[in-house]
Amino acid sequence: MATKNESKNNWDFFNRIITDVDENWNIIQCISCGKCVGDCPASKISDFNIRKIVEKVLIGDESILKEEDIWYCFLCNKCSKICPKEGINIPLFILSLRNEAFKKGYNIPQLKKYVKMCKRFLENGTVMKESDLPTERIEEIKKICEFARIKYLHKASKKNIGIEE
Amino acid sequence: MEGYIKSVVLDTDEILQTYNDNPLDFFKDKKICLFKACLEYYYPGIRTCLKSMLEDFDLQVSTSLEQSCCSGTFLQRNLITRAQFAAINERNIVSINEIADILIVSCNGCYLSLLRGRKFLNSKDIREKTTKILKEFKKDILFSPKLKIVHILDFLHLIREQIGERLKYSLNGLKCAVHYGCHYLNLLLDKKDIHSFIAPKNKLEDILTILGGSIIEYQERDSCCGWGASQNVIHRDEALQITFNKLKSAESAGAELLVTNCPTCLYSLNKFRDDMKDLFGESPQIPAVHINELIGVLMEYECDKYCIERILPLIEELKI
Repeated sequence: MATKNESKNNWDFFNRIITDVDENWNIIQCISCGKCVGDCPASKISDFNIRKIVEKVLIGDESILKEEDIWYCFLCNKCSKICPKEGINIPLFILSLRNEAFKKGYNIPQLKKYVKMCKRFLENGTVMKESDLPTERIEEIKKICEFARIKYLHKASKKNIGIEE
Repeated sequence: MEGYIKSVVLDTDEILQTYNDNPLDFFKDKKICLFKACLEYYYPGIRTCLKSMLEDFDLQVSTSLEQSCCSGTFLQRNLITRAQFAAINERNIVSINEIADILIVSCNGCYLSLLRGRKFLNSKDIREKTTKILKEFKKDILFSPKLKIVHILDFLHLIREQIGERLKYSLNGLKCAVHYGCHYLNLLLDKKDIHSFIAPKNKLEDILTILGGSIIEYQERDSCCGWGASQNVIHRDEALQITFNKLKSAESAGAELLVTNCPTCLYSLNKFRDDMKDLFGESPQIPAVHINELIGVLMEYECDKYCIERILPLIEELKI
C-alpha cells in the first residue's frame, strides 16, 4: 500500500478507476480546496470525506475499498455542483469505487438490505409489491439483467444461502 | 446539453416564445403520458391529482402499460451495469414514444434516470452494448424521439397562471417551506450552461405564491431529505439525522406546510416520524406534501385518504 510520503505513486488503482469510467480521469484536476466536504450530508453523519478519498485514489491507496465510508455517499451531486473544476463527477467516481469494492468482495453485507427490492424488480418490474407490467416486459427485464449482480442477489434470496431478507 | 439528452428534453423556453399568452395551447393537440414512479405507490394522489388537473384542462392523458421501474436505485448500488441501466431506460422511452408526445415525470429520481441513461449513450462502448441488448427485443436506441420529457416542476411552472385561474381554494397566506430535492437542485447537466447553473431555482416558490401561500425561508432549504440513494435503508439512524434537521429547521422558521416535488423525498420526509421520536426524543409535526397533491386538494379533486389527512386540516377554512 502506497503512502503519501513515498516518492513513487502507484497508478494501478487510478488506472482501474478510469478504465471503469473515462470521466473519472478528471479527478486528477482536484485542487483539494475542500468545498465538496463543506456541505456534504454524508460528511455530517459519518467519516466520509471526498477530498481525502480523491487523494487516496491519486496516491494508489486502496484501503478505502475496505472501509465503510464510500457507502455513506448520498449521491446528491452537491459536491460536483460546488466544485470549482469543470468535469469532476463525484457520484460517478463513487460508483466506480463501489464497483471496485464489489469486485474485490468487500462490503457484500451491504447487499443484504437490497434482496427484497431486487426480487421485486426482477419478478414484477417495479420495486413495489404490486405491478401491472405484462409478462413479456418482465421477461425482458430479466434478460437485460442476466449477468448483473442483481441476478446473484435474486438467486441468493431463493436459495437462502445466508443473505437475509 | 449533449446530443442524446438535448433531443429528448422539452424546451419550455421555446414554448413560452410562441405560446406566451397560454402555454397550455401548446399541449392541446399533444398526447401526454405520466411516468409512473415507484414511490407513488404510497402517495397515489401524486398521479391521480395531476391526471384530474390535465383532464380538467381538456388534455389527453395516459400512462404506459409497458413502463418498468427506472432502476436508478440498482445503478446506485452497482447491481446493474451502465449499459443495462441505459437499456432499461431507453426501453421505457421506446414504449412511451409509441403512445405519447410528452412525458411528464413527477419524481426527481426517475427524471434523472431517464436523462442519465441518455447521457451514458454518449459513450461509444455503452451505446454499442445498449444497442446489442435492445436488438434482442427488436428495439433500437432513438436518437431523436418525437417524445419530449419534462420535469413536473418545469411543467407546472409553465402553466402556473392557468392553474391559478382554476383554484377552488387558496392557501390564504399559509406559511409554506419548499423542498426541491438534490436531483433537481444539483443536476450536473446545468453546469454545462452557466446561466442555468447560476440562476436561482425558485419555481416551487413561484407556484406556491400563485396558490396563495406565503414562502418561508429556512436554513436547510437546499439540504437532502435524508433518503440519499437509499441511505435510509442502509444507514437508517444516521440518515434520519439529516431528515430530522431539515424538518426541524422548517418548523423553527415558522413553516406550517412543507411542499416538495419528489415522491421519494416525500416518503423520506413523512415515513420515519415515529423513528425520529425514538432516536431524537421528538417527532416533527409539520406535514409534508407533493405539489401535485396540494394542487389537487386546492382544485377539489378526489384524493386518497393519506393525502386528505395531511392537507385538509390546514385548508378547511380557505375556500375561495
